[in-house]
Amino acid sequence: MIETRDLTKSFGSKAVLCGVSLTVQEGQTLVVLGRSGCGKSVVLKHLIGLLKPDSGEVLVDGESITGLPERKLTDVRRKIGMLFQSAALFDSMSVEENLAFPLQEQGIRDMKIINERIAEALEMVDLPGEQKKAPSALSGGMRKRVGLARTIIGKPRCILYDEPTTGLDPVTSDSINHMIRRLQRRLGVTSIVVTHDMKTAFHCADHIAFIHEGRVHFSGTPDEMRASKDKEITDFIEGRSGDTDT
Amino acid sequence: MLTQIGRSLFLLLNYFGELAQLVVEALRSLFGAPVRWRLAMRQVVEMGARSQLVVLVTGAFTGAVFAAQTFFQFHRFGMDSAVGSVVSVSLFRELGPALSGLMVAGRVGASIAAEIGTMKVTEQVDALRSLGVHPVDYLVTPRVLAMMISMPLLVAECCAFGILASYLVAVPVFGIPEAGYLKNLINWTTGRDVIMSLIKGYFFGIVIVIVACHQGLKAENGAAGVGRAPTEAVVIASLGILGLNFILTFALNIFFPAG
Ligand SMILES: Nc1ncnc2c1ncn2[C@@H]1O[C@H](COP(=O)(O)OP(=O)(O)OP(=O)(O)O)[C@@H](O)[C@H]1O
Ligand SMILES: [Mg+2]
Repeated sequence: MIETRDLTKSFGSKAVLCGVSLTVQEGQTLVVLGRSGCGKSVVLKHLIGLLKPDSGEVLVDGESITGLPERKLTDVRRKIGMLFQSAALFDSMSVEENLAFPLQEQGIRDMKIINERIAEALEMVDLPGEQKKAPSALSGGMRKRVGLARTIIGKPRCILYDEPTTGLDPVTSDSINHMIRRLQRRLGVTSIVVTHDMKTAFHCADHIAFIHEGRVHFSGTPDEMRASKDKEITDFIEGRSGDTDT
Repeated sequence: MLTQIGRSLFLLLNYFGELAQLVVEALRSLFGAPVRWRLAMRQVVEMGARSQLVVLVTGAFTGAVFAAQTFFQFHRFGMDSAVGSVVSVSLFRELGPALSGLMVAGRVGASIAAEIGTMKVTEQVDALRSLGVHPVDYLVTPRVLAMMISMPLLVAECCAFGILASYLVAVPVFGIPEAGYLKNLINWTTGRDVIMSLIKGYFFGIVIVIVACHQGLKAENGAAGVGRAPTEAVVIASLGILGLNFILTFALNIFFPAG
């Protein structure tokens, strides 16, 4: 459903992506791994046209979105939901208004339906009854989950998760992992999950891509990844830096 | 030296280009996308209604001192009763729009730039885009509309309070005969003067919003970037108002001649 072809992107003189090609099939979950700062968030932002690549292409449902003007991207963006790494809640609005926003933008006006959908979405991220709070009054992990609720509430066909479980306790993380799987199984949602959490990776992935030095260093199934003998990958899975205490 | 002038000129042109792009985008949004009147009305309250106090005080004090200075000069020639008309025409044509513009640039321009700048660096602007909402539709156009509505009214209030204050200084304090004062004031102040003040206010309002939104939307580099946005917005908008005022004074005088 989403495909990138040889994306390259530099910020100033710093080359971040040097030819990233990824594919995710309809209804599948792709997990993107990589060291901090390797450009995972930058890749996600390209997929909905928030950033423009220096070269290469992004295809959504077979059509190139690269080069489309901002106003033409609306249709693509309505299909694809994105959870930002920073959650990016609108801080001038309450939790409830944040969640109502995507629905109102879709043209839903009936407050009864909106309130039901909000309650349902908050239930899914384990935050029932937090409607009235201001984002500034939430903890980091709670903000992340409200961001997640805002992403899924519009029922997009495809969801991009930027580190959905970072900053959450193991129990909540587990329930988020299950939610990602559930959305995929029940609603056929296509997902791309950026994460550092190996548990999330192996739980959710149909396919894993490992980004290193601006390229896709490894791409395969979770089992292939576990079986890999590549040093970068084994170090990443087991969390080895090669440094010592002394 | 020459290369430096060249580079500044290039930056200036580049800046005007960016502003023009924003104006085009705002026009496209105004005529091509559903207008968010609720947001616009909220901004009328936020930016327009809440700016009244500062604009009224500015108008009143300017009117008062201007009346006093005019009186000191005119009194020597026995032209006391002309004070009112001089003050009123100057307020409508120049001082009212320019001073309200500068005060509103400080108050509203700074707050727009800070608010949008914060949204930009905390990825809220990207979040809007990711939800299929054009930032100009949501953040810029409602504010432009709000200022188009508020600014002429603010200028009118500024002038009205200036004239009231000048009357209070001239008649009760300096003892200028009321009848002659009011007669001259009304005879020499024309509808053209009033229209000119409103037109100027309208354009100054647009300058303030466009400059401030542009500074906010291009904010980068975290807190430092957000900190710079309002300062630059106020400085640029104020200079823009002074420059545009100069141009408008001559241009509008063709259509609405003084006297
Ligand atoms: N807007 C930007 N301007 C300049 N440089 C940027 C920008 N966005 C990202 N970068 C740079 O791109 C690189 C990759 O950033 P990115 O946020 O994608 O990393 P990441 O893989 O998501 O890391 P993490 O796991 O820590 O979130 C970083 O070196 C960062 O400095
Ligand atoms: Mg990231």
